[in-house]
Amino acid sequence: MTKHARLIKEANDQTLRYFTRRHFLTDCVKGLGAAAFSSFLASCGSSTKTLLDLAGNPMAPRVPQFPARAKAVIYLHMAGAPSQLELFDYKPALQKLHNQLCPPSLLEGKKFAFIRGVPKMLGPQAVFSQHGESRAWVSDHLPHFATMADDVSFLKAVQTDQFNHGPAQLLMQTGSARLGRPSIGSWVTYGLGSENDNLPGFVVLTSGGKTPDAGKSVWGSGFLPSVYQGVQCRTKGEPVLYLTDPEGMSRDLRKESINAINEINKQEYTTFGDPETLSRISQYELAYKMQISVPEVMNINTEPDYIHEMYGTQPGKESFANNCLLARKLVEKGVRFVQLYDWGWDSHGTDENLAIDYGFRNKCREIDRPITALLQDLKQRGLLDETLVVWGGEFGRTPMQENRDGKDMPFLGRDHHVEAFTMWMAGAGIKKGFSYGETDEIGYAAVKGKVAINDIHATILQQLGFDHEKLTYQFQGRPFRLTDTGGKVITPILS
Amino acid sequence: MFHFSTLRITVSLTITVGAGLLFAACHTDKKVDFSTEVKPVLNKHCISCHGGVKQNGGFSVLFREEALGITKSGKPAIIPGHPEKSEFIRRLTCKDPKERMPQKGEPLTSAEIDILTRWVKQGAEWGEHWAYISPKNVPVPDITITNGNEIDHFIQEKLKQEGLKPSPEADKMTLLRRVSLDLTGLPPTPEMAQQFAASTDEHAYEKIVDSLLQSPHYGERWAAMWLDLARYSDTKGYERDDSRKIWRYRDWVIDAFNNDMPYDSFTIEQLAGDLLPDPTRDQLIATAFNRNTMTNDEGGTQDEEFRTAAVMDRVSTTMDVFQGVTIACVQCHSHPYDPFRFEDYYKLMAFLNNTRDEDTHMEHPKLRLYDSVSTAEVKKVSDWVAQNGTTQQAKDIQEFLKVLEPKVHAHVADNYINGALLDTKYMGIRNNGSCRLPKQNLEGKTQLLMNYWTGSKGGSVEFRLDSLNGRTIIKHTLAPTNGRLAISMPLPPVTGTHDLYLIFRNPSLNPADAVCSVEWFAYRDDIPGKGKPGYDQINNTWLTLINQNPDDVPVMIENPPVMARITNVFERGNWMVKGKAVTPDVPHSLNPFPAKAPRNRLGFAMWLTDTKNPLTARVMVNRLWEQIFGTGIVETIEDFGTQGFTPSHPELLDYLAYQFMHKYKWHVKPMLREIVLSAAYKQSSASTPELQEKDPANRLLARGPHFRLTAEEVRDQALTVSGLLNRQLHGPSIMPYQPDNIWQSVWSGAYWKTADDGNQYRRAVYVFQKRTSPYPSMLSFDGSSREVCLQRRIRTNTPLQALVTLNDPVYVETAASLARHMLKNGGNDATAGIRWGYQTAMYKPLPENKLKVLQTLYNQALAEYKQKPAEADKLLQHKDNTPQKAELAALTVVANAIMNLDEFLTKS
Repeated sequence: MTKHARLIKEANDQTLRYFTRRHFLTDCVKGLGAAAFSSFLASCGSSTKTLLDLAGNPMAPRVPQFPARAKAVIYLHMAGAPSQLELFDYKPALQKLHNQLCPPSLLEGKKFAFIRGVPKMLGPQAVFSQHGESRAWVSDHLPHFATMADDVSFLKAVQTDQFNHGPAQLLMQTGSARLGRPSIGSWVTYGLGSENDNLPGFVVLTSGGKTPDAGKSVWGSGFLPSVYQGVQCRTKGEPVLYLTDPEGMSRDLRKESINAINEINKQEYTTFGDPETLSRISQYELAYKMQISVPEVMNINTEPDYIHEMYGTQPGKESFANNCLLARKLVEKGVRFVQLYDWGWDSHGTDENLAIDYGFRNKCREIDRPITALLQDLKQRGLLDETLVVWGGEFGRTPMQENRDGKDMPFLGRDHHVEAFTMWMAGAGIKKGFSYGETDEIGYAAVKGKVAINDIHATILQQLGFDHEKLTYQFQGRPFRLTDTGGKVITPILS
Repeated sequence: MFHFSTLRITVSLTITVGAGLLFAACHTDKKVDFSTEVKPVLNKHCISCHGGVKQNGGFSVLFREEALGITKSGKPAIIPGHPEKSEFIRRLTCKDPKERMPQKGEPLTSAEIDILTRWVKQGAEWGEHWAYISPKNVPVPDITITNGNEIDHFIQEKLKQEGLKPSPEADKMTLLRRVSLDLTGLPPTPEMAQQFAASTDEHAYEKIVDSLLQSPHYGERWAAMWLDLARYSDTKGYERDDSRKIWRYRDWVIDAFNNDMPYDSFTIEQLAGDLLPDPTRDQLIATAFNRNTMTNDEGGTQDEEFRTAAVMDRVSTTMDVFQGVTIACVQCHSHPYDPFRFEDYYKLMAFLNNTRDEDTHMEHPKLRLYDSVSTAEVKKVSDWVAQNGTTQQAKDIQEFLKVLEPKVHAHVADNYINGALLDTKYMGIRNNGSCRLPKQNLEGKTQLLMNYWTGSKGGSVEFRLDSLNGRTIIKHTLAPTNGRLAISMPLPPVTGTHDLYLIFRNPSLNPADAVCSVEWFAYRDDIPGKGKPGYDQINNTWLTLINQNPDDVPVMIENPPVMARITNVFERGNWMVKGKAVTPDVPHSLNPFPAKAPRNRLGFAMWLTDTKNPLTARVMVNRLWEQIFGTGIVETIEDFGTQGFTPSHPELLDYLAYQFMHKYKWHVKPMLREIVLSAAYKQSSASTPELQEKDPANRLLARGPHFRLTAEEVRDQALTVSGLLNRQLHGPSIMPYQPDNIWQSVWSGAYWKTADDGNQYRRAVYVFQKRTSPYPSMLSFDGSSREVCLQRRIRTNTPLQALVTLNDPVYVETAASLARHMLKNGGNDATAGIRWGYQTAMYKPLPENKLKVLQTLYNQALAEYKQKPAEADKLLQHKDNTPQKAELAALTVVANAIMNLDEFLTKS
């Protein structure tokens, strides 16, 4: 066996031993005696992983099943589902059908969230052109991003089976449309731990003024231990809940009080010999460190001007741009999974903000520079090679114009569409300047290179060094996995 | 080809010889035990390819008839009595990797092969998994113990076998704190502690246990456990996650525990209280157990899809909670490991698939809780009906006024022309538009109620039979309403079932506007006694009652026979693909359906609580045990199936289950009493390196329980020792301090309003539970988001927990409050104050070495606050006017430290 293979095997054996749910923490510390106590405190932060480290820190970094292309993931979820037909899936034929009644063949046996009766077709509300050497079609809504076309792989024929936001977001983020499953980020930190002791391994940032439709469940840990749930970092108020010392409590005093707590806890440990006490001691130390490191990483004031210009960031504001910059900072610090949600993409045409010809344009403007800057910034720091960036919504939009409740809408809009939509991935072993999958000439149905949601999940895990069928967790009498009973790695987009 | 088959023959010959030798080597014909020896091997190595999900080669080892059946090769793989002729055995040992089983995994060990070989030789008998056989009256092990009760016979017998000794009894006050937290979720009151400390009565502990069991806080503590199982929440879940008023169910659970309602009644009332004869108000509220499923209000969602999802959740939850077996996987295929067939799931579902709730926005049916005036009106109406009609009619009208069922929801309508189901909730039809209510049975009905609202004059509705041009049965003007209004329209005699066509008109409207919105319809009889004096008044009273909006709570109401649903199997679990119809039944691998029980939810609940049911009592006593000791006798409290862990003390589990049913008649209090009076419970929880080595998880109980408090206990304890706790029971959920901008639900105007009327100091069990945004500090301590049934909280230990108890303003406030008492009780002596604070928190004196640490902290803090008085004021949230502000702030720092000690957060 090669050294690498042996290390991986050892790591896997360890993981298997320690991460059987049922003895989640207790087993790890079997054999622990008071004698080991002092060495535990001493070994904090050292690279050798002892039983005690794992007991104290289920977020300890772990080796994946095979060499990974990605060390971290930044997932940009456009909550509400942006229209692929105004961004990437260029359909001149649809323009010709604009305002004509939808042919019955597209409606028979189909269910839509809001379209009733016979709607009209809606031509693309954007000007498209080709970009880069890859000649990728990108609309004029994303002029900056278009310059990055040669860095990403487009998936043009993604399919889902959920046409309501809540269930579709859950499916996209947890692999199941029902509540109760762990999110992608939870699976990833469960599998890999975190590389930074002082920051959460799975961070969530939201913008657009709302949490996603499915609520905080989209970053929940489901049946995995709650230590793997996403930690929402906020750009307004405390960056992490309860992170700030109470008013009137100085840093020094806080330090002294944690020292006192831990000192007494050590005495307690010598009396009761419960390893959980040791664990608590290290968690209090970690909490203290987080109080410094989280505000530090969440503070963008100290970034140079050219960075602010690049991203379009304004310190102190809750914005997608700020979140993109934070995503880069977090990944740089070793955070494993950064999940961004930007709310407000549900372009039904019910009001101006949700109109495909108004609000949608503005939303595009809000993300165009930040996303471009994020990719460039990662690239210039050499991080893009080991950071997987994923962009997408929870479904697509119909080529038909929405006619909610059977009537004409005040603004142009498109209904939810499950049969084909576009996502893209970049970095960490993803092909550059590539496009996979095709839709029919009006962008209604996927015709080639279809991708299911659990294929996306399988691919993310693959790049992180996991066989998606083997990253499992025993629950309710069977092994569960992120991809449930499906999932195929999208090999054509891997370099 | 030739080469290959020759090779095969050679290989099998060798194997046969080899196997023959192996058989010869088995001198011992020791009888193998299927469930403890054979089944684990099958589960580990075979069943993932040859079980409920896959049957590769046409072979499965899930059921005996499948295992002995003909496989794809045309022959059976197992020939009972003849391992040498059984392909099943041959494949385990053969060398050819193409043939050897398991194909993907490591080969079986020789011990495992020996077990399987002997098993086939002995006839390949099937044995039942222990948990599917009813618990027997196990004799108490005949060993001498010095103290304790029957439980200790079981515990100490095992300890002896393992060469371990029980620990000495914990010190008195530690024990008091332990048992008080266990039984009431709160630390003891100072009075109780003083009394107990001073008492020399040898039965003092027993008396404390009895008084704790009588405490009204007992019910709150055990309700906290149950509400996770019942997935109780104050919101509906999914996208909009609007509020739901169902707290009366939470109070029902508290009361049921406080009244020590027997667990069989507790089960029956929650699952089928509405089907009991003349159910009481409480029995109806109990059925809200299964109305805690989520309701999806997101625009564009199909109610039937989410109704189905709710029913499926009820099937899983009911089996999870009462049977400790997971059945959710059976909705797609037979259970991979356990004897539950694909159809079993849908047969169970057929029991639960016949209630009136249909995922509507308004969450009908709801029990209407009339005030005393309206209750008298209801009685007046029903008395009139009894006098002028039959008692049956009187009962019927009472039922209707209670829940307004049966009614037909707008979402039933189809064939919309110039109209739609608005926001997929309400019928909205424009001028001259129409829709259809398919297959309505109006036979014998004399009036149609319609609940609608409109702001416009000039509207009308017409009802026609069978087509848009069919016979007109109703033509009615729709007056503008002030909010929703139910109106009564007379029906001519109609026989049989018909499609109803509804045409709405209002030419004065803008063509894009709907004539009105309609929520529901109901078909009723006239009140009898028409023409008699007072009739009109009674009729009016009746309609007024219907249009009242009293307080209410969602409940279960069974469909009347005309509305009964047929339950179909869903192919591969997909609700859109309906397979064959099934009738209600229980899995045959468990106890038989009771002979006299009705085939409905009530009968199903009776089956669950039949003393022959092998799981109900075991699962519940195991839950109680887990709450007390931190780990269940079956550690996987959620899985008693073959994939679950085997019990640490199987006989004890059966003993407890049997006592629970037969001696205690399903009463929980005496069961808990027996547990907490055991010597095992009263032991000191100090561990030793030896115990840590031999039994790190304390499964054998050579020491007492020692684990972190639950999310609820963490909050409640802090409130109690700080003297802030508001001990009020019951009522609407409360909103204590929560940071700003936590609630950001889409499309919901809901907001958090922090209580300042004393409700902010109430117990955690009353804190408002929002599914998509749970109360953050409780979530940090592994509290549940209540989206689905959670059977076991896995205890974690994270830095976020430390941040909560260090910094959350709730915990800063409790620390400051404790500090005020410390200052008062210590007078000018800070050390006395610190001692007092620790004593109050931990119920025992502060040891000197800990005192030193806290004194140092105090002095550091005092020095700092003397220098910076403004900071002291801030820490005290500007609430104090004492000249000793610096001292008080320094004590607050100390109190905050005490309330973050491991020993404080741990049940010791």
